Amino acid sequence: MKKIIDINNISHTFDDGYMGIKNISLSIFQGEFIILAGKNGSGKTTFLRHLNGLLLPDTGHLIVNGQDVKKHLVQTRRTIGMVFQDADTQIVGDTVFDEVAFGLENLKIKRSQINEKVTQVLEDLNLFHLKDRNPHSLSGGEKRKLTIAGILVMDPQVIVFDEPFSNLDYPGTIQVLTTIIDLNRSGHTIIIATHDVETVIYDATRIIIMEQGLIKEDGAPADIIRLLEFYGVKEPSTSKFGLGIQPWRK
Amino acid sequence: MNNSNQLKMTVYTSLFVALIAIGAFIVIPIGPVPIVLQNMFVLLAGILLGPVWGLTCVAIYLLIGFAGLPVFAGGTSGIGKLFGPTGGYLLGYLPAVFVTASISKGLGKKMSSDIIAMMIGSLIVYAAGVPWLKIVTSMTYEKALAVGMYPFLIGDALKIIAAAFIAKTLRPVIKL
Amino acid sequence: MAQVTPFTYRQGKSILHLLDVRCKFFIICLLSMSLLPAHFLACFFYGFILFFFFKNAGLNILSTLNHIKYFILLLFFIFIARALTMKGDIIFSFYDLSITVQGLNEGFLVSFKFFLVMLTGVIFSSTTKPSSVKSAVQWFLKPVPFVPEKRVAIMISLALSFMPVILNQAREISEAQKARCADLQKNPVKKIIRLVLPLLKKTFLSADYLVLAMESRCYSDDRTDPEFIPSGKEFYFLAASVLLSLGFAWL
Ligand SMILES: Nc1ncnc2c1ncn2[C@@H]1O[C@H](COP(=O)(O)OP(=O)(O)OP(=O)(O)O)[C@@H](O)[C@H]1O
Ligand SMILES: [Mg+2]
Repeated sequence: MKKIIDINNISHTFDDGYMGIKNISLSIFQGEFIILAGKNGSGKTTFLRHLNGLLLPDTGHLIVNGQDVKKHLVQTRRTIGMVFQDADTQIVGDTVFDEVAFGLENLKIKRSQINEKVTQVLEDLNLFHLKDRNPHSLSGGEKRKLTIAGILVMDPQVIVFDEPFSNLDYPGTIQVLTTIIDLNRSGHTIIIATHDVETVIYDATRIIIMEQGLIKEDGAPADIIRLLEFYGVKEPSTSKFGLGIQPWRK
Repeated sequence: MNNSNQLKMTVYTSLFVALIAIGAFIVIPIGPVPIVLQNMFVLLAGILLGPVWGLTCVAIYLLIGFAGLPVFAGGTSGIGKLFGPTGGYLLGYLPAVFVTASISKGLGKKMSSDIIAMMIGSLIVYAAGVPWLKIVTSMTYEKALAVGMYPFLIGDALKIIAAAFIAKTLRPVIKL
Repeated sequence: MAQVTPFTYRQGKSILHLLDVRCKFFIICLLSMSLLPAHFLACFFYGFILFFFFKNAGLNILSTLNHIKYFILLLFFIFIARALTMKGDIIFSFYDLSITVQGLNEGFLVSFKFFLVMLTGVIFSSTTKPSSVKSAVQWFLKPVPFVPEKRVAIMISLALSFMPVILNQAREISEAQKARCADLQKNPVKKIIRLVLPLLKKTFLSADYLVLAMESRCYSDDRTDPEFIPSGKEFYFLAASVLLSLGFAWL
């Protein structure tokens, strides 16, 4: 497997002196589906923001495709797309189409290419019929998919999700989960920070558990699942009842 | 100013453009004349964003309104608004925000100086709005003042006190 | 800005919807200006044209009038003020107030013009996508020196996307406070602070997230220019409106 991200002993201290993450080292390979779990305040978001250079480490190195993130911000941000927790606060465009085009416009791509690319992504994600709608008028699931589309047009290799299922109802969750699984099948590396391990564990290839800014566990779902509750993360009920890991979607 | 800070100011300024637009619709029922928050957001934009970004903020608000986005009171818009009865108040926001921001900055961003700055700012809005109203409607000055200024003064005073307190609380939070 | 104001863009396929926004913008400015010095006949003529396009664009006239009823009330005051203050042939007098023919004429004409200009604005904003307005602003600002038109365009987009977020948050806050009996609060300053302070805190937090989201999507001032799709009828509309404004001036 090809190594995409190589993290070497990074730490980050906030302005107020609080250490958000401490000495984190790990590698991420192409095609992985990683769950990042841990209690509130354990440092998941802080860690994820380092992956595409929104936060820079005080010590250590973060290498993406052989290049140091600090020196290649734009390249890194194209390689690693990030979908944030609250869909409403990351919408820039005033129609669905414009919203998806935003990233490509920033890269100064030709208009004809933008139109082609955006149309294709909207069709892939089944959003094309909404292209003239105001993003804020979409349903929760559609909105989340729209933010994914906005990332996807930039052809990222890795897509990072911070709490992708928060505030979604059951159909919304299924919609987003299906999209994420399809992305993984088509070769994207997926990293998801979530409290909702149950929803995604069946498709995950790896679970990382954080606590107080440290990585405490890192391994295959089957090995980690029993340890979840020790770190304050809800264990999937199927596992609790001795049924192992079951798909959440029926 | 570094790039990230520039982006932050750009976003905050856009936020205030939106607040000023929405401010025309947020009504707080107090007394006989309900309080509309628009002019308070104009003054706050000056105090929190400073003269340059504050002026930018109001200029963009007016620009999109004149260009046809329905952001003026009652969801109206258009270049015609400029020549309408309330055109003077709208244009008055420009010098008002700039002067308010400059005074607040010059006097050291204290609560008392903010209050003085905002009082002067509000007066500038009326100084532009009332004569305009008088000319357009050919009312007498007494009438124009009675329709276009006096009913709002008490509300303005309340808003200024509230805004000074809000600015004081917000400044450390948003680190401007 | 869905549901924010009554006159936001409505989807449609009428000729006004399809007209190039720059052309539409120019026409509206031209006609609004040339209407100001115009006479009765011109105003009525313009009113008929406006009425036609209102229908054509699928807009509801009655609901529009309903939405601008306060404005209409203001126009009525202006009408009265003019009617009472103009000197001329007295029709009716009451103590020292007198209504004159000239006053009635003037008052009616002025109010009618404001009314027409207002409706023109309504037609434009109802048939033009906010993003097109933004593109047009960017295009018209391009030759203006010292104005970074691309930055302005982004700020317009951002302001537009903040509006529904702010409205939602304002609604949430005021409901949360109603649930905690904030209505009993009589001190008006506190009332304002209790609504506005949390609103600003929340929206600034959203703004911080938005900064991050934009950065992670490679935000840059140097971006692809907007695209305009002409309908092919621009020339006729331009010619007609220039003729019309000349006609207004001549009348
Ligand atoms: N800008 C900041 N300044 C100071 N401390 C911060 C800052 N951002 C986060 N922290 C602190 O760092 C710690 C880790 O926060 P982080 O948001 O990474 O946790 P998380 O695992 O994502 O939590 P959650 O599950 O609630 O999303 C928290 O204690 C938080 O208070
Ligand atoms: Mg988090």
